[in-house]
Amino acid sequence: MLTNTTPVDAYRGAGRPEATYILERVMDLIARRLGLDPAEVRRRNLIDEAPFTTVTGLVYDSGKYKEVFEKALQIAEYEKWREEQRKARQEGRLIGIGISSYIEMCGLAPSRIARATGFGLGLYESVTIRVHPTGKVSVYTGSHPHGQGEETSFAQIVAEELGIPVEDVEIIHGDTDETPFGLGTYGSRTTPVGGGAVALAARRIREKARKIAAAMLEAREEDVVFSEGKFYVRGHPEKSVSFQEVALEAYLADKLPEGLEPGLEATTFYDPENFVFPYGTHVCIVEVDRETWKPKILRYVAVDDAGVIINPMLAEGQVHGGVVQGIAQALFEYAVYDESGNLLTAGFNDYMIPTAKDLPNIESYFVETPSPHNPLGAKGIGETGTIASTPAVVNAVLDALAHMGVEHIDMPLTPHNIWKALKDKGVVK
Amino acid sequence: MYPASFEVLIPRSLDEALDMLEKYGENAKVLAGGHSLIPMMRLRLVKPAYVIYIGRIPGLSYIREEGGELRIGALTTHNEIEESSLLKEKNPLLSETASKIGDLQVRNMGTIGGSLAHADPAADYPGDPSRSRGQRRPQEQVGGEGRQARGLHNRPLHNRPQAQRAPSRDQAPALTGSFGTAYEKLVFRASDFAIVGVAALVQLSGDGTAEKVRVGLTGVDEKPVRARGVEEELEGKKLSEDLIARAAERASEGINPPTDIRASAEYRRRMARALTKQALTRAFKRASRTQG
Repeated sequence: MLTNTTPVDAYRGAGRPEATYILERVMDLIARRLGLDPAEVRRRNLIDEAPFTTVTGLVYDSGKYKEVFEKALQIAEYEKWREEQRKARQEGRLIGIGISSYIEMCGLAPSRIARATGFGLGLYESVTIRVHPTGKVSVYTGSHPHGQGEETSFAQIVAEELGIPVEDVEIIHGDTDETPFGLGTYGSRTTPVGGGAVALAARRIREKARKIAAAMLEAREEDVVFSEGKFYVRGHPEKSVSFQEVALEAYLADKLPEGLEPGLEATTFYDPENFVFPYGTHVCIVEVDRETWKPKILRYVAVDDAGVIINPMLAEGQVHGGVVQGIAQALFEYAVYDESGNLLTAGFNDYMIPTAKDLPNIESYFVETPSPHNPLGAKGIGETGTIASTPAVVNAVLDALAHMGVEHIDMPLTPHNIWKALKDKGVVK
Repeated sequence: MYPASFEVLIPRSLDEALDMLEKYGENAKVLAGGHSLIPMMRLRLVKPAYVIYIGRIPGLSYIREEGGELRIGALTTHNEIEESSLLKEKNPLLSETASKIGDLQVRNMGTIGGSLAHADPAADYPGDPSRSRGQRRPQEQVGGEGRQARGLHNRPLHNRPQAQRAPSRDQAPALTGSFGTAYEKLVFRASDFAIVGVAALVQLSGDGTAEKVRVGLTGVDEKPVRARGVEEELEGKKLSEDLIARAAERASEGINPPTDIRASAEYRRRMARALTKQALTRAFKRASRTQG
């Protein structure tokens, strides 16, 4: 198709924000038609437990869906805000509460499903871990961090699996001369898939190291335990060899068990058995100004279950970024063309990306239900924010206007668009 | 986009700058803080062959009181105006207005002279009615003493030719007695230009009647305008919030606001009324507090 509109492509969440937006808007419309509290409609429809097979055959991996939902409502003080809303309306002020309970599929893999859906590539990830004679570690990853921070979280995974300081781990990425094959950082897959490959390779290193340690300790391999970076015979921690001593022996190669190659290195190509399914509930409280119709977010609470969190700060950063992008879609961003097809919002002066000053404090909480679908128990966190926040914000604004008879306003809900919807309804001049 | 190629000239005195302007005429633009000119050059809306950077001319950055007038040098930054204790005391409307321009980075670089010379119809300063002294638009001193041009703004992004392109200073009255001021600015996104901006000044006499009421609007027409209907409604009367609310309904009289990607003309008309009410109410409350 020929078009002169601005090129578009998959955007953070790609498909799940749209699906969640429709579902969560419908939840609120059901509540209105039935005269129920929007929280109650969701409460009655949430899944009790995982694993859960959907009508389309997907198997949700793990989750405490109702617990997370109630936790979000409790943290956001849902009932208190409903009371505030009643009082505010009597004073002529407009407060609204929006809920969004999402579940999404990410950690894009495995290859057999990707190929079956017509995808042109497999969806594994690969990594090579090389332990140097000093015990320091180089990790060559096909997964590519470009701002998401996996240089840190992958190093944490290796440090934890091998019991070594995180500073001893170097993550090498991005240079295809050096790194193994990678399928890309998208679809919230880099921690569950790429991180899974890192964990499995580190575990292979550990198992080989255990064999070498057993020979150094003159013990049977099955009697050797590994704890806090040291190998020792079960019950005798006083006589141990460190991971670094084992690494040196791997290269000196004079005390290796029979048949074991020198060196300490592992490569894995990890292809998970299934997707992962993060979920959560976000609650947004807004006040809409009665004269300018400008919405202001008073509180934003995100409770997400992304399985085991490797690095809380990076995970929270992903939630913040995603929520901001979703708020931007709900309230600010849009592409405008004139009648001859010229893009009028061609620069950031005109295209409204919100600034820090336009945004609320984002309160982020995690519930960790390990996913059984990968070695880390991790689910993706990169897109949950954009998936959850747009309907939470739009629901909140429309909830503030509920008694004025407006059920829908096309995004973005700018002050002008809110005013216009009310004016078209005849409720304001 | 990169700007078209240009040459930078750096005069060291006001006379040198004026000579350069005379010599290069329409081929030259004056650069101060750069927050209006540089974006326009990058969009190639303007392609000056010469950019005259006046930032190194001494003596153009000051805020002082002379003979009942507050004088502000053209190169005074928005941030200096926002922070000035002299202005906060003698004409706080300018300080409050400056505090709502752009963001901190813009306020640290942008200058009042640059803003006035740029003549954006939604800029913040020109709405300030305290400076108009009975004239429809702000009075400016251009190019040094004695060369005055009344009614600086002509049409969007154009000042009257006699105003040239570089006011060397702005001036505003030092307010006395019981007065209150307020600037209300509506933006959809922080640091944007105003959808509508309303600056208000209320001066009360000893018995509490409104001696002087001034309301200036920005963003609602091709140039900043005074809401004379509102002023007439209120001057000489004992003010109340109800009276202000009724008078504010006249704020949209005679204005011709634009419809753009952010908002329609009709929305802007409504906002002119709503913000006029808010600004006047706040200015009135402040004035009442100063009454002995």
